[in-house]
Amino acid sequence: MTHRRWFTPWLLAGPAVIWLAVFNLWPAVNTVILSFTNAKPLGGGHFTGLANYRRALSDDQLVDALVNSIVYLAVCLPLLTLLPLLLALLVERKLPGITFFRTAFYTPVVASAVVVALIWGWVLDDRGLLNGLLGQFGLTDRPVSFLTDRWLLLFSAIALTTWKGLGYYMVIYLSALGNVGRELHEAAAVDGASALRRFWHVTIPGVRPTMLLISVLISVSALRVFSELYVLSNGTGGPGGRDMSVVMLIQMYSRGFSGHIGYASALSLLLFVITIGPMLLLARLGRKAA
Amino acid sequence: MRSTHWARTTLAAIAAATLAGCGLGDPNSSDGPVSATGEVKGKVSIQTWALKPKFTDYMDGVIDAFEKKYPGVQVEWLDQPGEGYSEKVLSQAAGGTLPDVVNLPPDFALPLAGQSMLLDVAEADPKLADDYVEGGIDAYRFAGQDGAYGYPWYLNTDVNYWNSELLGKYGLDARKPPGDLDELIAQARTVKEKSGGAAYLMSRKPGLGDLADAGVKIMADDGKSFTFNTPEAAAVLDKYRSAFKDGLLPKDVLTETYAGNAKLFNAGTVAWTTGGGNYITSLATDNPTLAPKVVPSAAMGTPPLYVQGLSVAKNSKNRAAAVALARWVTNAENQAAFARLTSIFPSTKASATDPFFNQSDGGNAGNAKVIAFTSLAKARILQPVEVNDAMKTVVNQQIALAISGETGSKQALDTAVSRCNQLLKG
Repeated sequence: MTHRRWFTPWLLAGPAVIWLAVFNLWPAVNTVILSFTNAKPLGGGHFTGLANYRRALSDDQLVDALVNSIVYLAVCLPLLTLLPLLLALLVERKLPGITFFRTAFYTPVVASAVVVALIWGWVLDDRGLLNGLLGQFGLTDRPVSFLTDRWLLLFSAIALTTWKGLGYYMVIYLSALGNVGRELHEAAAVDGASALRRFWHVTIPGVRPTMLLISVLISVSALRVFSELYVLSNGTGGPGGRDMSVVMLIQMYSRGFSGHIGYASALSLLLFVITIGPMLLLARLGRKAA
Repeated sequence: MRSTHWARTTLAAIAAATLAGCGLGDPNSSDGPVSATGEVKGKVSIQTWALKPKFTDYMDGVIDAFEKKYPGVQVEWLDQPGEGYSEKVLSQAAGGTLPDVVNLPPDFALPLAGQSMLLDVAEADPKLADDYVEGGIDAYRFAGQDGAYGYPWYLNTDVNYWNSELLGKYGLDARKPPGDLDELIAQARTVKEKSGGAAYLMSRKPGLGDLADAGVKIMADDGKSFTFNTPEAAAVLDKYRSAFKDGLLPKDVLTETYAGNAKLFNAGTVAWTTGGGNYITSLATDNPTLAPKVVPSAAMGTPPLYVQGLSVAKNSKNRAAAVALARWVTNAENQAAFARLTSIFPSTKASATDPFFNQSDGGNAGNAKVIAFTSLAKARILQPVEVNDAMKTVVNQQIALAISGETGSKQALDTAVSRCNQLLKG
């Protein structure tokens, strides 16, 4: 005979519910509440209505940060969706020594983002390796401002993100490619389809759900980029702070004794809303394609 | 029915905790006068900033002597690592667990004093002004608040350092350094032209300290607004912009932080840097070949004053012992002993005549120490303590825009003032 008590499900779910409530729900709700206050680490916390959101609308730095995020997303999304797939197709082949290349492509993924950005900083510096080589070969007569020009700095950071992300997404594609039936490729080849047509009509449909997943992951990380821009700009946000990302803005406003926690919370919520947009769009596109 | 009750209770608890967490409500406690008199006994804690392990013996000695003088006292010494100190103090302040005596530079002490968390030591210790230099005490007097919120512990300032070999190579004499910005730019032009752009004299952007040194009033007296968007400040930036345009500064000054200047100096690419009185001693480790070739000179204009101090927590349960301990650690004898271990300068009036600080051994490091010590007499805090990290970032960014020529100097200063005022206001 078994007894069914009303609290049994609560007991089972309790630890997970408490965990979620304390570490996910509460901070999220708290962020929403704080965004309507002038909270500071010490003091403040008075209700200010929509003042933080009005301030955000007139914040030039937020506009720059959003432009940077959109450019980051627009460049990273196609690059990091397609290049790792091509790379995966290359290293999928069973060739002698291919494991070395798989490992080599994956190595940047395991390296710390900050360490990698520091190394790239040395390479791209006015007196760095790349400018040294360019000068040596007579390709430039003065250093290229990779780190001191607004757009070059942004694209240097994008290149770093792309280079670092290739291996990670390549591994995801490798597992997806394993699920694309070899017989489909063989049938298409027998029917006279070229390698390009087989890629377009067999490989791409086979990995489409993975592409969608990767697109979502890239969108979220591109909009939340921080380490690359922060380290390459030495924390200054580039010339005039015009290379700041939204996360860098949030960090700038929230840190220290006089941090504007209320305003930083409002920016966090705006970033959350902005991040949700591309995710929903991609999900919709995925459903349509399916 | 019961589950509904549970759900309501849980929601109510979360809402209550959330509201408490966000600090809604009046955070200010009563601001009445506090007494720090009484017998010096009981337990008292002191928190320092990155003194272990290098100065463990020194601090142990100071504390042992204090406990010997006041047999009823037990001192607990806490030392926090250099990294993340502000976050540590912030969490202690927010949690109401500040140690009785705590090492706070003035910009850390300001927000804590604003929340009535620190003791007014000028009120608690009427002899404060008799024993400590005025500049040190003033660093802990904040606009809009009566009193002083820390014992000045030790002082430092900046000295100019010149690479005599590099300057000599381009026909300049490190013993005849430039006396003002115009002369500095003129010498920078000589270095640039004669080196073909391979070496620089200048390699840093100006900051608020440079504007203050040029006579610009950075902040209103009431500490409620910034005022550095003046034509005089714009003129300083114009000079830097012109120098930058002529290639007298490396391009990466636009994004490089101050450390970049020292880095380039240490590498022998730049002929001028500024640093504390012990810069040559530390350079001897990083670049032993360069260190002997460095010539120090006094800062151009008004030298900046850097102050470290010990504050006393207002909610200390043992105020009398806390005040006595803060005074003990910062007294002339203990500061003088500390200054012999590292290159800092005492904030006590009694140390002014100490021959240790006034006499050089003849070496360039000894000369730098004497220059730094004598500079302290006219040094002052150039950057107001109200300027926090976010404001520094904003000012740095706008000055970079002005120097690069992307924005006019006045417009950049107007934007910086507007954003800093907003950050100040909250």
